[in-house]
Amino acid sequence: MAYKPQYCPGQTIVADNRRKQLNPDHKLEKIRDVTDKDVVLIMGHRAPGSAYKSAHPPLSEQQEPECPIRKLVTPTDGAKAGDRVRYIQFADSMYNAPCQPYMRSYLEAYRFRGIDPGTLSGRQIIECRERDLEKYAKELVNTELFDPALTGARGATVHGHSLRLDENGMMFDMLQRCVLDKKAGVVKYVKNQIGEPLDTEVKVGKPMDNKWLKAHTTIYHSLVGTAYRDDAELIEYIQRIHSLRVKYGFMPKE
Amino acid sequence: MTEATFPQCRIITERLLNPETTEKLLNRLVLIPGIRRMILNGPRLPVTVPYGPAKGCPNPHPMRKVICIGDQSIELQTHVGTILLELESREIIPALPSACEEVFTSFSFRIQEGRYMKTEPSLVDYAKYGPHADKTIIGMVDPKSHSGPVILQGIK
Repeated sequence: MAYKPQYCPGQTIVADNRRKQLNPDHKLEKIRDVTDKDVVLIMGHRAPGSAYKSAHPPLSEQQEPECPIRKLVTPTDGAKAGDRVRYIQFADSMYNAPCQPYMRSYLEAYRFRGIDPGTLSGRQIIECRERDLEKYAKELVNTELFDPALTGARGATVHGHSLRLDENGMMFDMLQRCVLDKKAGVVKYVKNQIGEPLDTEVKVGKPMDNKWLKAHTTIYHSLVGTAYRDDAELIEYIQRIHSLRVKYGFMPKE
Repeated sequence: MTEATFPQCRIITERLLNPETTEKLLNRLVLIPGIRRMILNGPRLPVTVPYGPAKGCPNPHPMRKVICIGDQSIELQTHVGTILLELESREIIPALPSACEEVFTSFSFRIQEGRYMKTEPSLVDYAKYGPHADKTIIGMVDPKSHSGPVILQGIK
């Protein structure tokens, strides 16, 4: 029987969402329409419309050493063109943000090629060739992985994941890169991800409501969402892993 | 530093407070006689970007505003999330919830009694501020910031 990945244990809605996001066959729901130009503005690596800077000549113009792996792996568009490696970093609130740092790295490894994800407790960075990055970043922002209020594109000064939300329901941001336009109910970026002011505001849509967030989150939270201890299957799994790891620490001889 | 003999309370809210809400609450609190000191705690909102590629750039922030408490105006330096209070006696504590209830209408809050302000300078304080630091403000404001406490005229 062919191996069928299960992705993640658990019986709750959170575990379901995790499985959906991790499964590359599951098409992520598109929720908003942030343009290429807007994504480039938020990231702030190049001016929209300007040429991509390169780190090396295009692969077609340079002599490649004889290598079986290079023959086997098709280079991504960015690698083919010799683009620089750039990044986008997201901070996700633990108050029911739809995606979480550990999940991001996991799902990106399943869904994207030529990436170098870095995971930290409250933020996650993804590095890859600029051309590919823009494509991936657009998907990360436009789909159900993003919530304008609870997810932030933050290159530096990322603190906010574990802090209480503010009265407007926005995650804390020391640099306040995005603000809630109360009249229109839309979140707009006024600074790029490292905190430099933008010439034009970038609208990223309305924050999702609590019901949607609770139904789409991938984090367990006993106060505002689904409690970890309510998921019997996940508890059983984690206790098994814990038990096996402890036992292995003693090098049992059978 | 604070003296161990005075009772202390802290007000914790479900959400970080907007400057307008903070102003409203503090204006209610100053009407309660017998609050010796207050500290507004929360994540800092610096005037300039402190680090990263945009270091040194101005950092306009909608939550860093000048608020008026009584007849004093103060520029907030934090996004207020917790308010620490030092009281003259425990008899004042019952007056605090009613002041909070008037302000926090859309989210919950909690008032706890305990010890939240420093009573002794720590080793780290000594290393940071040296032996001649002003002991009256250690643990309340950074002695190196040269911004002393704001004194509000009481109603006693």
